[in-house]
Amino acid sequence: MDLNRRRFLQFLGAGAVGGISTAVTPAEASSVENISDGYGVLVDTTECIGCRKCEFACNREHHLTDLPLERYEDTSVFETERWLQANAYTVVNRHPNPENAAKPTFVKSQCLHCLDPACASACLVGALQRQENGAVTYDAWKCMGCRYCMVACPFQVPAYEYGNALTPQVRKCTFCASRTAQEGGLPACVEMCPQNCLTYGKRSELLALAHEKIAGNPELYQDHVYGESEAGGTSWLYLAARPFTELKFQDIGPEPIPHLTETIQHSIFKFGALPLMLYGMLGAVMRIAKGGHGRHAETTAEEEVS
Amino acid sequence: MKYLIVIACVITASAFPSAAQEHPAAGAEVPACITCHVSENPTEQDAALKACPRPNAEAAPAHESSESPDFFILDKLSDIYVPVVFPHKLHASMTEMGIGCEQCHHNNPPGPILGCSACHETKPEQANLKQPALKGAYHRQCLGCHREWDHETDCVVCHAKREPGHPVALPADSTDIMGMLHPNIEEPDIKVYKAEDMEGTPFVSFHHREHVQLFGLKCTACHQRENCSSCHNSEQQALPREREDPHQDCVRCHTEQVNNDCTFCHAETERPGFNHEQRTGFVLSTFHEGVTCTQCHPQKGAFTGQKPECNACHAADWVPTKPIDHAVTGVALDETHAQLGCVDCHTGGIGTPAVCEACHDEKPDISKWSTNAAPVRVPAPETSAPVEEHKGTGAKRYD
Repeated sequence: MDLNRRRFLQFLGAGAVGGISTAVTPAEASSVENISDGYGVLVDTTECIGCRKCEFACNREHHLTDLPLERYEDTSVFETERWLQANAYTVVNRHPNPENAAKPTFVKSQCLHCLDPACASACLVGALQRQENGAVTYDAWKCMGCRYCMVACPFQVPAYEYGNALTPQVRKCTFCASRTAQEGGLPACVEMCPQNCLTYGKRSELLALAHEKIAGNPELYQDHVYGESEAGGTSWLYLAARPFTELKFQDIGPEPIPHLTETIQHSIFKFGALPLMLYGMLGAVMRIAKGGHGRHAETTAEEEVS
Repeated sequence: MKYLIVIACVITASAFPSAAQEHPAAGAEVPACITCHVSENPTEQDAALKACPRPNAEAAPAHESSESPDFFILDKLSDIYVPVVFPHKLHASMTEMGIGCEQCHHNNPPGPILGCSACHETKPEQANLKQPALKGAYHRQCLGCHREWDHETDCVVCHAKREPGHPVALPADSTDIMGMLHPNIEEPDIKVYKAEDMEGTPFVSFHHREHVQLFGLKCTACHQRENCSSCHNSEQQALPREREDPHQDCVRCHTEQVNNDCTFCHAETERPGFNHEQRTGFVLSTFHEGVTCTQCHPQKGAFTGQKPECNACHAADWVPTKPIDHAVTGVALDETHAQLGCVDCHTGGIGTPAVCEACHDEKPDISKWSTNAAPVRVPAPETSAPVEEHKGTGAKRYD
């Protein structure tokens, strides 16, 4: 990794000036309206029964654990809140329902595949990238292990293989890219879900469906589709019967997370501001350096005279 | 139920291939094509079905649960799962307290009752995101109740484990499932509620048995949209019924009283049940005891008053088939007159004034016969035919 990082810094230094002129483009492209209508999943938490079949399907698909299916029927795991790990791309948590103890709310968590992903923005090497189909994918070959993505993600999704000393990777939901690439292919969790709580489709159609569901049953659903605007929008969308903050969803504004940092950074490069500053600074340094040398020479001359 | 019929069709399809070709809406009342289809000219290859719920197609034909099939074998997905033996009649009887067959057979177009797979595709359809696939449709229907009812969401509750190398074991004795209807519900005699916010008159006495047996209300008149878990918890203990509005059941019949007259229900103390004599002055004993309300008061719901004269209900030439206690009319007969037949005095028919002149030269003063005392009651006959018309078999004495 050290070698990688050093090489990368060398490359960065060499490419810095060359990159200045092109760096404005991604900032403009990051506005959410310009992002193509990828695929997504609508999660209807009112239908989820907490069977954890999605966890099983995911773990089997990605060879994360080899627990038999029966082990997933163990509901004692709901006693404590679990979160995504290097060997768990998706987890289901149970949130008690104060109105009806017999009907707790179950929430499946995984990477939300943001439309304007903070992880991809923070990634120095482009290991994390949003694909045309909506998936935010990870390329382990490019990754140098800086883990900036983990800091950047507002949902605390990416996990890291701390236990792997030699070839650690950042781990997160892949959106089952290999499966969905096939005609009619569904992500493993979507296909497994016995309740069809998970609906896979075009994000725009899913949003329409979500609002239709809300309009059709306003007493049940909160009038809010989580992920429609959060962090600039996410590919995974959620419907719930209770306020999302009660279900431990992050309360995130509609501004895409990379927007602030990218605006600052890219504005600096706009109109050649940074090169001008750089050359200005260099000029100032040269001038100071030149002036200082002159005084020093005069002093020496005076000393010689005396 | 709808799943079941469709699955039955599937099961029989191998034996009767033509049966599967029939249009699902083929029946006595064929709806307009556009009820279900987008196109006016649907073809077999491109049915162009509208997404459910289809407008004007919400009503499943009324059926009694007893008419429904006993059980179905849900084997559409049996390449993945062991077929599920679904005790249909048991569930059909349970929905009577809910919204009936439509609880499962939602959006059934007019015509035969359809099974789940008539609409829900085995494979998720990208084209129709609104509709769950068959697997989701099954599970949502089952788990929608079972999740609350017994908290069991383990697969093995419905899906028997498939033993490798062995075919699916169906129950050898289908009577294990048939006849597993809901046990008889013992209805309460009276429920007394206390409305804390009604100072002075907090008590509301609801005579439950009376409403069912005397007034002929069906369970579903009040118990609408119930679920298993609204009556039981997972230990099958009875739960108190919860109402959003305490008047919601009463107001359906007693609309005027609920809106205008609180004391119709709210009283200082517990109230006795309905007493026909006290309320109307007409004693029901003996002969009218087994008569249903609607036999005299044909207008259902808000009962209208009826004249006390016999010929208000009975034909003019009607005569009692058994001796009556004439005192109930307010005139007690002495021994001599008790021997006479009705029409000897009431020559114009029962209910018309007595004609004394047939025997007496002068009309006697019968005011001395008048009785204000409680009329003498004649014990009720052992059986009275109209009782069977009542919903229940409980006591029918109201006087």
